[in-house]
Amino acid sequence: MPVQGKNKVSGKTKLEIAVYAAVCLAILALPLVLHDAFLLNKYARYLVLGILAVSLSLSWGYAGILNLGQATTFGLGSYCMAMALKLKTIPIHTGADGLPDFMVWNNVPELPWFWKPFYSMTFGVAAGIVVPMLFAALLGWFMFRGRVTGVYAAITTLAAMVVVQLLIIDQQAYTGGFNGITDLAQFDVAGFTFDAYSSSSYYLVAICLTVSLFLALAVTKSKTGLIVQAIRDQEDRVRFFGYDVALYQIFIFSVSAAIAGLAGMLYTIVMEFASPTFLGVPLSLSVVIWVAVGGRQSLLGAMLGALVVTGTQGALSESETFLDSWTLIMGLLFVLVVLFLPKGIAGAVEKLAGKFGHRRAAPVPPPQLQPQRTEAVANTRHAESLS
Amino acid sequence: MDIVVSQIMTGLSIASILMLVSLGLAVIYGVTGVINLAHGEFVMLGAYAAWALQTELGLSLLPSLVAIFLILAAVGWLVEVLVIRHLYARPLDTILATWGIGVMAQQAIRLTAGGELRYVQMPESLSASVTVFGATESAYRLFILAVALALFAVTWGIYRYTSFGLKLRAITQNRSVASSFGINASRIYRLTFAYGAGIAGLAGALVSPLKSVSPEMGTTYVVDAFMVVVLGGAQSLMGTLASSGILGELSGYLAFYSNDTIAKALVLLAIVVIIRFRPQGLFTARVRA
Repeated sequence: MPVQGKNKVSGKTKLEIAVYAAVCLAILALPLVLHDAFLLNKYARYLVLGILAVSLSLSWGYAGILNLGQATTFGLGSYCMAMALKLKTIPIHTGADGLPDFMVWNNVPELPWFWKPFYSMTFGVAAGIVVPMLFAALLGWFMFRGRVTGVYAAITTLAAMVVVQLLIIDQQAYTGGFNGITDLAQFDVAGFTFDAYSSSSYYLVAICLTVSLFLALAVTKSKTGLIVQAIRDQEDRVRFFGYDVALYQIFIFSVSAAIAGLAGMLYTIVMEFASPTFLGVPLSLSVVIWVAVGGRQSLLGAMLGALVVTGTQGALSESETFLDSWTLIMGLLFVLVVLFLPKGIAGAVEKLAGKFGHRRAAPVPPPQLQPQRTEAVANTRHAESLS
Repeated sequence: MDIVVSQIMTGLSIASILMLVSLGLAVIYGVTGVINLAHGEFVMLGAYAAWALQTELGLSLLPSLVAIFLILAAVGWLVEVLVIRHLYARPLDTILATWGIGVMAQQAIRLTAGGELRYVQMPESLSASVTVFGATESAYRLFILAVALALFAVTWGIYRYTSFGLKLRAITQNRSVASSFGINASRIYRLTFAYGAGIAGLAGALVSPLKSVSPEMGTTYVVDAFMVVVLGGAQSLMGTLASSGILGELSGYLAFYSNDTIAKALVLLAIVVIIRFRPQGLFTARVRA
């Protein structure tokens, strides 16, 4: 391997950054041509789900951790934001002693201690990131230190999500139970209010999407990112190199949770409520579908997968019969993607692009027994020799 | 005394249903390693098959059981041929694919049979109650218990005493060595899948008179069945028997004494902890790897 400068970015990465930037710019430019507040709200909602898809792609596509409970951290973020926004409504929607309305209905005498810090919006926003992250770090520590991987990790995350959801539903007096937290104030920063039905919220979501997309991209291109990918491909080999495999897994799991928490907060701002369905199995498995369809090993693909699938679903939802057959088609499409396009649409596009760009490409690597499996390990070694 | 007996009987009844539902899953997972999230939908299809045979053909539940087993075995066989057999090398993807199949099955039923609740008549000969050790018990629940035990015995017998079972055990221990001795592993896998699906169908048909039949009914069963299999250990049929007994009695007890939601959350937490510390299950048969 020829020695390269450490900061030299390969042509492929440059192209990738350019494509990502172009898509983000297109998303950011949309309100310039679209002025319908209702549509902007709808698209902002899709974009939030796109962020959620990016977070799953990070843990599933890059680290090989199939998190069937990705909605847990999404929901936690959403509830943190809802708690902060609920407390801002105190002068308007309250009963005695400045309590949120549902607590009054449940005869709660005073605001519980864990609600009090949420009087501060800064705390609420920080908690929306930190709480999901801590949850993921704890669960990750519990799983990965015990070398729970693959199918068992998937089942553990699913079970953990159902536990959290059951607890939220059960503790109705403090969480609003089945109804969730509704009648929220609008999010505002330094006097500027983000109306859910306006371009300001759309821009907020679009900017967060751009930031998380590039943040995730930076993580995957970093040395840590390469090691994580190597763990996905050959866990034992990386362990034999002396890396603390569990630590890397916990790290990527937490970063993914932080992004999902951010998405959850934005979802509350756009939807104007938080509900236990945000931590539900249906949402969580839908995210898996979007990411699988779009391409789990491409952050952008996963995001676009979410936009396309939820967008189509939204467009068809006006008609009941269409929606019914759509679910059937969705199931079929999903099975076909799993069978024939394990890397999703992004993988297929990459393959096609590879065929066309073949001539310009660097010397063809010698055929290997398992090219996909060894690639990331080789990259790690390369990264190792550079550092 | 009566209360104790009836409490135990309630637990046994829950356990026998758990046993029926999870036996098929245990067989499929134990042999092929496929996590079949469509298992709940196989149960649901079995219940709908019972309903359809009863309303369309006027067949009572008991005579239609054989047909239901065959129908669901055919469905399982088809699913294996079309989808699962391409995925044995990618166990994580089987979760996704079988979930997609489950979604399709649910939606197909919703489109053809409708989304509303359906009811299946209990066989008249079994609708009476009988007295056991001073406690009154529905004859049908006792019948389910008997069928569950019988099916377990049959499965155990196949596993232990037939040449098919011998091949099955050989493949479970080491597929490539077994193949090199001339065992057709793909065929065994296909039959196993069909058999597991058939049992799931029977389970659905048998519980259908006790619970209402709906397209979503499978979802709860698949979670319960997974708990049983994880607790019992994937490759141990005896583990499945023991863990359905434990979970059945435990749920009966918890539902009697405490809040349902918290009980469910506690059981799930226990599963998470068990996966972490004993991923092979509580009752693992020793397998020479």
